[in-house]
Amino acid sequence: MRRVIFGRNLKLTLLRAAVWVVVCVVVFKLLLVHIRVDGISMLPTCPDQSVYWVNRLAYVRNPPQRGDVVAIRFIQTDKAISHLETPGIMLLKRIIGRPGETISFVKGRVLINGEVLDEPYENYEKFPCDWNSAPVTLGPNQYYVVGDNRSMAPEDHVHGECERNQIVGKARL
Amino acid sequence: MKMVLRLVLLAALIAAGVWLWTILFPGPEKIVRERLAQAASEASFQSGENPLVSAARAETLAGFFSTNVELNINLSEHGRHNFAGRDEIIQAAAGVRSAVSSLKVQFPDMNITVGPDKLSAVADVVVQVQAAGDKDYYVQEMKFTFQKIGGDWLITRVETVRTLS
Repeated sequence: MRRVIFGRNLKLTLLRAAVWVVVCVVVFKLLLVHIRVDGISMLPTCPDQSVYWVNRLAYVRNPPQRGDVVAIRFIQTDKAISHLETPGIMLLKRIIGRPGETISFVKGRVLINGEVLDEPYENYEKFPCDWNSAPVTLGPNQYYVVGDNRSMAPEDHVHGECERNQIVGKARL
Repeated sequence: MKMVLRLVLLAALIAAGVWLWTILFPGPEKIVRERLAQAASEASFQSGENPLVSAARAETLAGFFSTNVELNINLSEHGRHNFAGRDEIIQAAAGVRSAVSSLKVQFPDMNITVGPDKLSAVADVVVQVQAAGDKDYYVQEMKFTFQKIGGDWLITRVETVRTLS
């Protein structure tokens, strides 16, 4: 029985177990974050109560790209340790604007530097949008994020500029 | 081998000592964190709570704030509300208790910055509120300003923060 539980070599089994614990902690605490969607702001891409993984290493080499669905932390912080912590609650949004670009909404369509953005993920028939907003020019570390479901009033939909350090990672859809 | 064991024991002893020190003499950040957790607990209530208990808990909740506290709450769905002083907080707490049968308030994320004088602190907090019957919870980022007054860390200012500018 002892051999079944601990294997032939107890030390080796304990070492293996320790390695697995370290790997699991690193992967599931620091690299991949498990999230559950609560709300309808990312419909139809991410239904309410759906579950996704967020890759925290996605933007180590390359900066976030337009069209990426990202997890965003609420609180801005300069503390290095806080960046390693996984926030309890995050926003799940899509990046539509990159640093230096000018973003505006005209009759529900997104304009980047005055040109209409092609958004194949949008379903305007099911989720009509009539938003209008003044142009906003993003800073050097800012991204413009918004949910896919823009059928509600703009003040009821959390969207706007976020800092690069607020982006936790890229959601794997 | 004996030397290694002694070193390990010494390290464990030092770690236990440091841990005990932080328990007995918590730093301002830890105190503020605990105060916020206690305030969230006092702001929450279950349905069918005794009115006397409710009144006492509203008083306790007000005790977390300074006498000249200012609350500037601006919520897109619920409009702008300003409160000043403990009495208005007690009234607001009573108003909430009469409007909903139960409420669960939590602060899942906090970032606390203690001032250089160690007598003030700012807590950026994610507030999660779920009322009775609501499937979804309401989430709002808020900023709490604390000051050490008469040996107690009291909330002197509360304001809502717009997460994405």
